[in-house]
Amino acid sequence: MSVFTSSPAAGGPIIDFAASESSLEIAGLSIAYGEKSALRDLTLRIPRHRVTAFIGPSGCGKSTLLRALNRLHDLNEEVVRRGEVRLEGQDIHAPQVDVAELRRRVGMVFQAPNPFPMSIYDNVAFGLRLQGGMRKRQIDDTVEWALQSAALWEEVKDRLRASAWTLSGGQQQRLVIARTLAVQPEVLLLDEPASALDPISTLKIEELIRNLKSRLSLVLVTHNMQQAARVSDYTAFLQRGELVEYGPTQTLFTNPRLRRTENYITGRMT
Amino acid sequence: MNDPRPHLSLRLRRRRVRDRLATLLITAGGVGVVVSVLAIGVFLALEVVPLFLGEDALNARELWHPQPVEGYAEPQHRWRPEPLVEGDTTHFGMAPLVWGTLKAALWALLFAVPLALGAAMHSALYMPRRLRARLKPTLELMEALPGVVIGFVAGMLLAPWVERHLAAALLLLVALPFGALLAGGLRALLPVPLQQRLPLGWAGLWLAPWLLLVGGATLWLGPALEAALVGGDLRGWLADTLGLDYAARNAMIVGLAMGFAVIPGIYALAEDALVGVPDSLGEGAQALGATRWQTLCKVVLPAAAPGIFSAMMIGAGRAVGETMIVLMASGNTALMSLNPMEGLRSLSATIAIELPEAAVGGTHYRLLFLAALVLFAFTFLVNTLAEGVRTRLRHRYRRLEGGA
Amino acid sequence: MRTLWHRRGEGPWPWLAAGSVALSLLMLLALLLLLSVRGLGHFWPDEVALVMPQDGQPFAGVAVREERIPGGEARERLYFTGNHDLDGDRWRWVEVSAIAAIRHPAELVVLERSRWGQFLGRLVAVVGDGERHSGEAAWPALQARLAELDALRDERDRLRDDVVVPLVRRLENSGSLGDAESRAALAAAQARIRELQSAMGGDTLILESVDGRRIAQPLDLVLRAWRPNAMTPPQKLMAWSEGVWRFLSEGPRAANSAGGVWPAIFGTVLMVLLMSLVVTPFGVLAGIYLNEVAHQGPLTRLVRIGVRNLAGVPSIVYGVFGLGVFVYGIGGTLDEWFFSDRLPSPTFGTGGLLWASLTLALLTLPVVIVATEEGLARVPDHQREGALALGATRMEMLTRVVLPMTLPAMLTGMILAVARAAGEVAPLMLVGVAKLAPQVPVDGDFPFLHLERKFMHLGYHIYDAAFHGDDVQAAMPLVFATALLLVLVILVLNLTAIFLRHHLRARHGAPRW
Repeated sequence: MSVFTSSPAAGGPIIDFAASESSLEIAGLSIAYGEKSALRDLTLRIPRHRVTAFIGPSGCGKSTLLRALNRLHDLNEEVVRRGEVRLEGQDIHAPQVDVAELRRRVGMVFQAPNPFPMSIYDNVAFGLRLQGGMRKRQIDDTVEWALQSAALWEEVKDRLRASAWTLSGGQQQRLVIARTLAVQPEVLLLDEPASALDPISTLKIEELIRNLKSRLSLVLVTHNMQQAARVSDYTAFLQRGELVEYGPTQTLFTNPRLRRTENYITGRMT
Repeated sequence: MNDPRPHLSLRLRRRRVRDRLATLLITAGGVGVVVSVLAIGVFLALEVVPLFLGEDALNARELWHPQPVEGYAEPQHRWRPEPLVEGDTTHFGMAPLVWGTLKAALWALLFAVPLALGAAMHSALYMPRRLRARLKPTLELMEALPGVVIGFVAGMLLAPWVERHLAAALLLLVALPFGALLAGGLRALLPVPLQQRLPLGWAGLWLAPWLLLVGGATLWLGPALEAALVGGDLRGWLADTLGLDYAARNAMIVGLAMGFAVIPGIYALAEDALVGVPDSLGEGAQALGATRWQTLCKVVLPAAAPGIFSAMMIGAGRAVGETMIVLMASGNTALMSLNPMEGLRSLSATIAIELPEAAVGGTHYRLLFLAALVLFAFTFLVNTLAEGVRTRLRHRYRRLEGGA
Repeated sequence: MRTLWHRRGEGPWPWLAAGSVALSLLMLLALLLLLSVRGLGHFWPDEVALVMPQDGQPFAGVAVREERIPGGEARERLYFTGNHDLDGDRWRWVEVSAIAAIRHPAELVVLERSRWGQFLGRLVAVVGDGERHSGEAAWPALQARLAELDALRDERDRLRDDVVVPLVRRLENSGSLGDAESRAALAAAQARIRELQSAMGGDTLILESVDGRRIAQPLDLVLRAWRPNAMTPPQKLMAWSEGVWRFLSEGPRAANSAGGVWPAIFGTVLMVLLMSLVVTPFGVLAGIYLNEVAHQGPLTRLVRIGVRNLAGVPSIVYGVFGLGVFVYGIGGTLDEWFFSDRLPSPTFGTGGLLWASLTLALLTLPVVIVATEEGLARVPDHQREGALALGATRMEMLTRVVLPMTLPAMLTGMILAVARAAGEVAPLMLVGVAKLAPQVPVDGDFPFLHLERKFMHLGYHIYDAAFHGDDVQAAMPLVFATALLLVLVILVLNLTAIFLRHHLRARHGAPRW
């Protein structure tokens, strides 16, 4: 097994983990919205139990990439895809794959908190009830476990029956994370999870992200480079739908190999 | 963790099947409903076809051109689908019905369009937002009033009243707009503090009692004026001098009643079009020193013109198809005259009166289906046109707002 | 545009625009006021005037309105005089200046009769069972007898509706002679009815019109009696509310020109209920299909525009469609298959409750579809994605997240559909409304709900009573009351819908974080 995924482009991925350690593998992925190309021939691997961040200017395709990882693009009929995404070695677009089950295994948290208009408890239990086959007692336990994992339990344990919309923005976002954790995904996709939040809530979310990597693999999309530097282990820089540079966060931020990356990181170009 | 689970669990498979089934059901139901709704036009057309094909097909000329009628030298347009007495000939001239329909709709629009557009301009431009938010649902309620009630009031109360007070009623048509203008003029003469108690934005409300006063004065003056100008009997004068007959239930009454019914529809769409014009456009003109009214005429109205046009089209569609009002307020006489003070008979009223008695499958029956088909096609086309215009307008506004 | 304030005058034209708002509101207000005053005023026991013309006989009447005589300053007044059996007319115009005196004697009575309409005049005596109450004693005696009569009538009606009619129908259906038990029960009931009838008859009122003509009035034809001039305001109020109640709860009399509108209320409500049972599921289904399932291509857009435009197609066209497809098409076929023994008299092959409901359902389908679609479009996409991201299938996403949020919108659509349907009359004239159908379509007979029967409708009742009666003038007050009722029902429904929609907007529009 090669340690490096060879890529002809200078500045291609420098990866210091073995292929067997990757959770998701993306191979030659291109995505277009109708005529408009959003991602071009992307190849990279995302490590297990690490935080991988995607950074890049807005419109670079990082959110598009994230949505490709749990097939949310299926909703949009305009989207055209080429290439493969493999979760633990299995092609997620294979015909026998059940999309619902895939999405359970690859959870996602969105930019704006989107709790359902129901109680806090029901929000967390939502995914569990879809799976079915659980007793009330089990659900109760899992809800508590998920809320604790999302560091929300202490704040809401006395008002589990209150509407989720009564929570603050930061709490709502942690609720959404708890809701996702409850169905025990293997990968958690985070699409700018803190962009709508105040600084203190942002810190809480970032701490949560760091704590969660012992349990699952996290993929974080952010336009906030400090955030990427603070929480991620690996960082990929995307520009105009192409992967520019990918490597350990430390290396990428302190010693980028390409001028384009450096310009972006130092803020000389947005 | 890294077990890819090649076989789906039973539960998962059941959920999948349920999803497929439900999707199938919704698709079948949805397509079924949509198709059956859209089938209306097809069905009407199929029922009409035997009129023009087959052995005893009608000549299309018979429908739209004057036919010789017993007792008349000239060929006449005549609608008499069933013989009145044994041996009477039948006439299938549909021209008077179409004429009556259009005449009623035209008078309705003549009455409704100025009022609805005026109201839309006032509420879009001058009214405070909160007042406007109240006015819209009020006028929506006006639209919800059933035609049978409006028709009843028009046919049983308004028609006899206008017949007795024709001069005063006609005078009202002039006096009310004049009264509104007069109010504006008088207000300008008031001291400024008083003027501010009567803001233009609220004029829609405080003008109402004033107009009531003007109306009352007009009714009081009416007979005197009638006596002075035409010798006290306007109807007699009209008949003698201009040769105009007067029927109590006539096109004007229908226009008034149906106008009342279509005002809210036109108002709502026209107001949407006016409010939808991006503020940046009007503010540009006002920054150059134009008054709000000038801004309206020069900038906002042209920008919203397609929307206003489509509002009028939809109003026309409603007026053409309205049944109960015409049935109750028009007298239902199949005439072809220009005189607004004579009765008329519309397609819709004809269907309502005659179809229950027409023999199934007969020529008369099929002709009434033809009438329904004409109504259907007309309103459907008019609405589609209006909808298309509105959609394009919305796109344009979005572009303008995006560019601003 | 709203933000700038101009000191400069705006010119005359804005006043015309403002005037049109004022005029529109004024017209709406005038119409509602007219309906309320005329509709509710009818039940108020008006004073009866004893009018003495300068020449000719005195008469008793209720002043209705005044008009200027064309071509002069003189005015004339219309009185409702009743006494159709004496005068051959119920109305009388009198020139105001020709009236010598008007008085309001307390002893004038008004009788509501089931034949000949109202009587206005004096009560001379009550004669019956060999007794004769006259003078002061006559009025209390009449009141007492009327109360007894009411009780007897009630018993008779109950017996007829609950015992006789079902029995007769059962005997008819069982073909031959039926079982002996039923026949015995029927005979007993009929005997009791005859007994009641004879108990009602026999008494006579001696009445005198104010100009001195006497008549003998069989008491069993008198429904109510009152002396408006002797009533105090609270008594009048009582009589008024009683009148309103009668109007709402009784059936029509005298060719729809008197009595109440209960069967019409019942018919309208039942028809609208059936319609909403049909239109809601199908409309919602089609809305969900168009917005959530269908491929969002040009075809769907076209279909959507088509459906929207159907809302603008005249209602009479739907009536024609209903007549052609439901009544003659499906109904005719049903008759051939299942009811051929009753042909040529049609069962389902003629207008009826079912066909009317279906036609109106078709008519209001676009309303429900559009409302559902708007509700669905207002659910933010991130809610859908949130559900999907948790591993929900599309159906689970719809049923657990999206549809609960759309519920108020669907409800609004349904209410608007009901409001529209309640006011539609034109299509009903083709597919099943009846001028007079005293039998409501629900009764104790199997299958309890008679979908093939014709029914009465408030809107059609207005049209029929106002245009097809013999004495339209006499029917007018009732028509006004009916119109007011219909308008009230529709306004309440619409207000509910407006309130719901507003509530909905406020909930979805409010910032949530």
